[in-house]
Parts: sequence; C-alpha cells; structure tokens
Amino acid sequence: MSKTVKDEILDRLKVAPQKEPPPRPMMPPLNELALNEEEGIEKLVETLTLIGCDVHRARDSEETLEKLTEIARAEGLTRILASEDDVVSPLDLPEWGKKSNVEVFTAKDCRDREEFKRVAFEEVEAGVTGVDFAVAESGTLCLVHDEKQPRLVSLAPIRHIAVVPVDRIRPVYESVTDELFAAGGKAPSHLTFISGPSMTGDIQATLFRGMHGPKTVTVILVGQASS
Amino acid sequence: MKIKSEQFKEVAREELKTRHTRAHLDVIGLFIQEMREASMATFPDPSAALELGRAIRAESVERLPELLEAFEKKATANGAVVHWARDAREANQLVLNIARERNIRLVTKGKSMVTEETGLNEVLVENGLEVFETDLGEFIIQLLERPPFHIQGPALNIPVQEICDLFLEKGVMKEPTLEPVELGHAARIFLRDKFHHVEMGITGVNFAVAETGTIINVENEGNIRLTKSSPPIQVSVMTLEKVVPTMKDAMHMLRLLCRNCTGQKIASYTSMDSGPNRGAEADGPRELHIVILDNGRSTFYRDPEAREILRCVRCGACMLECPVYGKIGGYPYGWAYSGPMGQVLNPLMIGQERTQDLYRACTFCGVCKTVCPAGIDHPKMFLRYRAHDVEGDSRYNATRRPWPEAGFMEMFTWATKRRWRWDLGIKAVRPFINRQVEEGFIRGLKGPLEGWFKSRDFPAMPRKTFRDRMRGRKE
Repeated sequence: MSKTVKDEILDRLKVAPQKEPPPRPMMPPLNELALNEEEGIEKLVETLTLIGCDVHRARDSEETLEKLTEIARAEGLTRILASEDDVVSPLDLPEWGKKSNVEVFTAKDCRDREEFKRVAFEEVEAGVTGVDFAVAESGTLCLVHDEKQPRLVSLAPIRHIAVVPVDRIRPVYESVTDELFAAGGKAPSHLTFISGPSMTGDIQATLFRGMHGPKTVTVILVGQASS
Repeated sequence: MKIKSEQFKEVAREELKTRHTRAHLDVIGLFIQEMREASMATFPDPSAALELGRAIRAESVERLPELLEAFEKKATANGAVVHWARDAREANQLVLNIARERNIRLVTKGKSMVTEETGLNEVLVENGLEVFETDLGEFIIQLLERPPFHIQGPALNIPVQEICDLFLEKGVMKEPTLEPVELGHAARIFLRDKFHHVEMGITGVNFAVAETGTIINVENEGNIRLTKSSPPIQVSVMTLEKVVPTMKDAMHMLRLLCRNCTGQKIASYTSMDSGPNRGAEADGPRELHIVILDNGRSTFYRDPEAREILRCVRCGACMLECPVYGKIGGYPYGWAYSGPMGQVLNPLMIGQERTQDLYRACTFCGVCKTVCPAGIDHPKMFLRYRAHDVEGDSRYNATRRPWPEAGFMEMFTWATKRRWRWDLGIKAVRPFINRQVEEGFIRGLKGPLEGWFKSRDFPAMPRKTFRDRMRGRKE
C-alpha cells in the first residue's frame, strides 16, 4: 500500500511541466576560511563568548583537570555525568573525581537505558563531554553521538562542560560535514551542533536560558596553536 | 485544528482592538529586523548569500521527484523507515499505527508546522495517548487550545497573567508568579518528567538532505533534541518539499534560516539524524520513522508558478516584515500558516473560495518578496489568485467577483480600448467625480468606491487633460 501512495505522489510530480533549475550564483567565501590557526582560536573564543558560553584555556590534560576542579568548586558540583569519548576518556575523570570529591557517572556504569536516563535527568548537576569539532564561524560545538558519546550527557543536566582540543577547531560548518559525510563513509547516525545554552523567548519575548537543556555551557580550550 | 480562514475579516477586526497583540507586534518586528540585518551583515556579501539560498531552494523544488527518490533511498540505507502519506488523515493514521503497534502511551512533540497542519495531536489524544507539546510557546497554546500566533513565537502575545492562571489550573505549577522566567522554569520542571519517561518522540523536519538521507532539525530550547534522545521510537514528519540536494546546500540554508528567523547566526541546537541509533548506545531511538506528507502539494506542483511557494523554509521573515501581519497578528489567517507565506499557501491548500480575504489583505508593498531567503514572489501570486477569481478558474475553486464589479471592469476595459471612447468617457464622468472636491482633492465618494476613500484621497480631475495641455503648448 505504501508503495502505491509513493508512486502516486511521485508520478504526479513527474508529469508536471519541467522547468530548468536556475544557475547557482557565486558567493564570496566566508571570512573564517582565511583565518590561520591562531586567528581561528581567537575567533572561536570570540564567537563562543558572544553566544553566552564561559571559555577557559588550558595548556594540557593536567591543566584541564585543574580547571575542572576550579569549576566544580565554584559551582558546588558533587555529581557529574561524563561521556567516554576520545577527548574525555584519557582524562580519567573517575580517578579525578575521587580526588576532588565529585562522583562521576558514565553510561558504562549504568545497568540499562532506564538507569542511565535516571542518572542523566535526576542525579547529576553537570554533563562533561569532549567534542568532535568546534566551528569558529559561530562558536558551534559538534558532537557525533555513539556508544561513547550518549546524547543526553550534553543535554539533560543543567550544566554542560565541553573539553575542546584546539586541533579540532574548524573554520565553517562545511569543513565538518565534508569530513563526516564523505562519500563512501558511514554517516554519523546522530550529529549535534551546539551553539550556546538552551534558550527561549516564548513568553513575552523575555529571553532566558536553560529552557529544557543546559543553562550554562562552559568550554575548556586545550592546547595552543602549533606554529 | 479547525480551519477558520473564512473568518479573516471578523477576527482581524477583533485583533486590532487587542492591546497585547498590538504591543508585541510593534516591538518584536523592529527588534528582529535589526537582529536580522546585523546577522546577515556577517556574510562577506549578504545579497550574494541570499541569492545562493534562493537558487538552492528553486533547484530543490524543480528537481523535487528526483531528490525525494534519492532521499528515500539513502535514508532507508541508513536504517530509517520511510512512509508516504497522501493527505493529513493518512499521515495521522500512520503515526497512530506506529504508536498502537508498540503500545505507546506517552508522546512528546517538538514544534512542527506540519503536524499543526494535519491536526495530529487531536487524533492521538482521541485515541487515548498522552501527547505533550514541548516547545514552550507551543506547550502554552496546546493548553489554551489556540492556533499559533506566529510560527516561531506561537504564544508571544499571551499575557503573563493568563499563562499564570493557565499553569495553575492545569497543574503545571502550584504557586502563582508573573515572572516570565519563573513561568518558563515551571514548564521546564513539568516537562522534564515527560521527557524522562516518554515512549515515542514526534518532530517535524527543517531540511532533508537527498545526498545523505539525513533529516535536520533546528531549535533553541532543546526540546527537539530531548524528543530525539530519550524515547526508543522517533517519528519525524515532513512535507515533501523539505528536501535539499546536498549537505553543503543544507549548511548554507541553515545559515539563512537562523538569520532570517530570529536574527541569530545559528540557533542553539541543530541535530541531524542519518538513521536510528546503532544498537549499543545508552540512548537515542532504536527506530526512526520518517513520514513524507503530500497533502495536495503534488497537485498544485503542476503549476510552475504556484509550486514556487514550496521553496519556503518557514523562517517567518515575511510575517514580521508584513505591514498587514504587523497590525493583525497570526490569528485572522485561521490556520497553521499565517502572514504572506500563509496567504500564498493557504489558497492552494484549502481552495480560493475559503481564502478570498486572505490574498486581498495586501498592500502590494512587496517587502515579503524582498526579504524572502527562499526566493518566493508573494505579491505575484496574490495577483494571480485575483485573476483566477475574475476568470472563474475551477481548478483553484476561484470565486467570481460580484456583478457590479465585474460589470464595471468590463465597461472600463471596453472604454480604454479605443482612444475616442476614453476621451469621451473622461469628459462624461468629470463633472460627476468632481462633485465633492475640497481644496483640489476628492475626499470621499458615495457609492461602491466609498471604502477606497476611507484612508485615501485623490486629486480633483483638472478641466484639461494632459494631452489637451500639451496640444495647447504647441500652438
């Protein structure tokens, strides 16, 4: 039955008079494409700040953990949920947690989906993730979701803390999608662009943060330009 | 939702008197306009960016059948299940069946104009499901049982007192407050429990990428992400024109959509699904269903000019710029789609006989066309609908004009076709028209033209025509 509906619709579209699609006009390349590494980092810091993220800098893993301790202390965090992606895993957050008096949960620790959801929605005060990319153009964090990067870590807790290695900075969205959706490869089943905190202006156009997702997004930029 | 487009004039009259509607329209329009201009200015060449967007949408619509087939193929290969629906009833039934077969009781929804179009909520609720709209504005109007005021801000016009009373009555919160932030927080707490336990999530689609079989959603609140992350079943409903050729095209349209919608460079969240989760994840849907809805679109697609409305990306820029929408707001349009895009789309979807006042509520200033990032020429279509009416075009359920108007236009046409008829006619009507001249202007006329003079005047007809005077100079 579904097949016939499809054919019926497509047939109607196909018998309609054809028009030649208009030519694609040229557009000058976006400014961000001309930035060098150092400028790319600066631009990212600028755009992240503009959309309301807190940005911290760290030289290496050790400093990243120090920053994390500072943030946890300042915000009074006692329980966090961490993803197990290739940025966060090497930091060994569970070990850090023991020293810093912060209970660190991961999806791996949860028996099943229900328990994981309960932790994400009800137990923790922050979610800590790495990123696959960060886009300088608009301060956008790009997360590919899989076993090691559950969707709810950066979404359900009221705070999102993202660790961004500087070599993952890209100038524009296309630099990310070209890489992730390259012909022949398997597209990520779920890809998220996060640009600032959750927001709404639906009541009387009064803007406020933390509508359904995180109220704060804290970014720890790790490393320096190689040149 | 009941379509009430026939009551355009009555509702517009009421809305003009509503203080809250007025106050918000006056402020929001200006605010967003400034944000849009500032964000468009971040392109090295804003007009080139706009032109590229228009070309992408034009191409998407012209290549529609081919792109839809490519999208379905890719989406299926990604593991999604693609369903096709002829009309609203079929689409709703499809979604209901998916829910029933899986014993679903609790559903959350991301804001989607298409499910507003099909009236999906009513059908699911009638069949015993608990359905929660989760976009804050949409949540409020669902509780109020009202149509959206604007496609981005469905409840922008509702006074805080009314929201407070509503939230208390419906058990969303216990303590009264008039603070917008606290009201929003109450909704967060209330809906969080739904997000935690939701069994099936329903969303719309902003873009469907033919090249990769990916669906893309754009939002600021995070409710769509939650709807796509927490439940094991995801159903995303799209009208067939949402497709774009490539991921690159989608990224460019994303930039234009956000800038023209809220004046942001990009919204807080853009989420892209290429199939369901892969099985080992702790969250995300095990099943991803994509429903492609036609609902009359493939029928008017045969008209190469009418199909241009399918380029629309629902940014809402035309509404906030429109001087008519700016006075009356979204309710008079009587359906999911309001403002200039609704004035073009609704006559094609529900027939011209029910939308007569919609496409006449236009000053032909053309600002909608100027800002449109999808390249739609709204005023051109309003003129075409009027022409359909004059011709009594049955394909569009056009309605012939009343006989005095039709007769007058016949006579006028006859008179203008020959020089001598025109000259003679001018001489004959001049004394009649000039009967009510005040200080060189006609301020009003009794009879069928009375309405025209309500807000306008007209210079008195001089004794000599332009040609008469030119002839005089030569001599």
